[in-house]
Amino acid sequence: MGSWIVGNWPSFDPHNFSQLRPNDPSAPSKKTPITYHPTHERTLPPPDQVISSEAKNILLRQFYQRGDEKLRPKRAAPENLAPEQECKHPRASVASSSQPPK
Amino acid sequence: MFRSNNITARIFQRQITTPSPGTSVHHARRFYENIVPGCTIHDVECPDLSFRKFTEDGKYLISFSRTHQDLIVYRPTWLSFSCKQEDCDTQDLPLKAKKFESFFTQLYSVPLASASEVICKDFFLYAETNQFGVFATSTAQIHDAPATGGAILGVPSIEKITFHLLRLEDGVVLDERVFCNDYINLAQSMGVFLFEDLLAIVSLRYQRIHILQIRDSGSLVDLRSIGEFCREDDELFLNSSSQADGTAQHMPINNVVNDPNLEQPAQENCFLSGIKQRLLSFIVRGIQNEQKVETMRNQSLKKKFYFHFQDYVDLIIWKVQFLDRHHLLIKFGSVEAAVSRNADNHPSFFAVYNMESTEIIAFYQMSSDELYLLYEQFCDYFHVPSKSSLYMNFISSHSNNIYALEQLRNNKSKATSFSLFIKKVLASLPFNCQSQNPSPYFDQSLFRYDEKLISAADRHRQSTDHPIKFILRRPPHTLKFKIKTGPEAGITDCRTKRISSFIFHPILPLALSVQQTLFSQPAVVNIHFRR
Repeated sequence: MGSWIVGNWPSFDPHNFSQLRPNDPSAPSKKTPITYHPTHERTLPPPDQVISSEAKNILLRQFYQRGDEKLRPKRAAPENLAPEQECKHPRASVASSSQPPK
Repeated sequence: MFRSNNITARIFQRQITTPSPGTSVHHARRFYENIVPGCTIHDVECPDLSFRKFTEDGKYLISFSRTHQDLIVYRPTWLSFSCKQEDCDTQDLPLKAKKFESFFTQLYSVPLASASEVICKDFFLYAETNQFGVFATSTAQIHDAPATGGAILGVPSIEKITFHLLRLEDGVVLDERVFCNDYINLAQSMGVFLFEDLLAIVSLRYQRIHILQIRDSGSLVDLRSIGEFCREDDELFLNSSSQADGTAQHMPINNVVNDPNLEQPAQENCFLSGIKQRLLSFIVRGIQNEQKVETMRNQSLKKKFYFHFQDYVDLIIWKVQFLDRHHLLIKFGSVEAAVSRNADNHPSFFAVYNMESTEIIAFYQMSSDELYLLYEQFCDYFHVPSKSSLYMNFISSHSNNIYALEQLRNNKSKATSFSLFIKKVLASLPFNCQSQNPSPYFDQSLFRYDEKLISAADRHRQSTDHPIKFILRRPPHTLKFKIKTGPEAGITDCRTKRISSFIFHPILPLALSVQQTLFSQPAVVNIHFRR
């Protein structure tokens, strides 16, 4: 019972929240709360991104997925390494160029 | 959390709690545990009609005359009677109330079939949004029909099949579509599938899938015809290119000029039909991609494709259903099996076809585990959802009901051969449109009942003398109500075989049970309702 931060909110037991000492409203602190800013832009969505729901239902999505897997040309083993190596290079370059956050 | 079975307590509980998200239908359905059609009026005097079913919104009862030429539609109402005694609940119903007319008012009777035609009494599709009904009339079947005009040999022919679109409010026939010298499987609406406003009609004889749209104004509009041609302008393109060549079209005519005794051969198209080409090319690409090495590829193609080439070419479209507005699930099989009653032993295949891009997306054999897995996980997506009535999406299946899933798992573990089990389960695909009753009394999570004697599926069953019991699933597992067919005293004559059919109202606690012999004796109709 009693003023708790803002206004007189009811409580089951009058002894609840009695230990809580809110900031004294007569002398409000001038300190602004801490805010956080992102230090990079990797997680921003692309400016032209549009989010919409999938038109095909889950069953059809499964059919399409399995069909695509069957029809996707499979390469023999030695050829598979090359695309993976290509993928790795740009990632390494991004990691080396980013500045560590302060 | 204990749920009371008392109806008053449930009503009070309903006032203060909101159901968890997505369970509003389940919560509402629990009241059907308390309100059951326990009272039976045996052998009610009713007009001698063959009752078909209630529409899915429960507004109409569809029935046909015994001559199968007229359609009679009733409105289900409820009986009303007054009782002067003090303790009315224990009093028996007055005789005046125990009539067919207490429950049903006739709206109209429309003659659909002309003299030589009969209404197919197994066929009825309901378009709920506009309250339109689709009926079919046909003339007699001709077996051993000659294969003329692109028809398949071996499929019988019916001189005239007419589909009637009727507005059920007043019985006005809005539109008709006639198919001449064709064969469409009308039994249990197998050859036709209705999804929202799209109607897919499978012409077995000419191997075409006609897609029609039911407009709000009540007209049937042809959208496309898949089979020989896939896209709408294929026919135009082929004709214009063959005219430009001047070769393919003219040769048969030259032959006739030289030898008039020679019968003009049927316009033989040297190409396979459009959909067959799509199917074969999909199969080939699939087999080609399995092999990484070029030489193994040819070997694999020879074994898997060319060896069976003629079998693949001879496949015909059996049955079709919509998976969504653009996709069809097509069942292919052989000609002999399409017309025989027992098609289970013949091989069949499933294909998913996209009508817009005219591509085949998937192709499976009837014993494919992959398709079975998809069916086991996503069964409800094969039953295309209805947008108008929410409760239509909650017909018990193993995808939305734990007891049905348990039963499927039991059957799977008991099966001696997994591939035979898959064949049996997949034989029900593609589903017959609107063949399951949405009544909450068939909900497996509410009641337990003998599925061999009664179930949501719309078909005739062997009649039994003892009543069919509906027992509560949840504790205290009590017997809630019984459905007894036939006259009250039972049947003395055990020799004649009797079949029963059940017509449950989708919303009200009202059901009709019709027991009839195989001969055209008048049927015994019982009304089951809640007093």
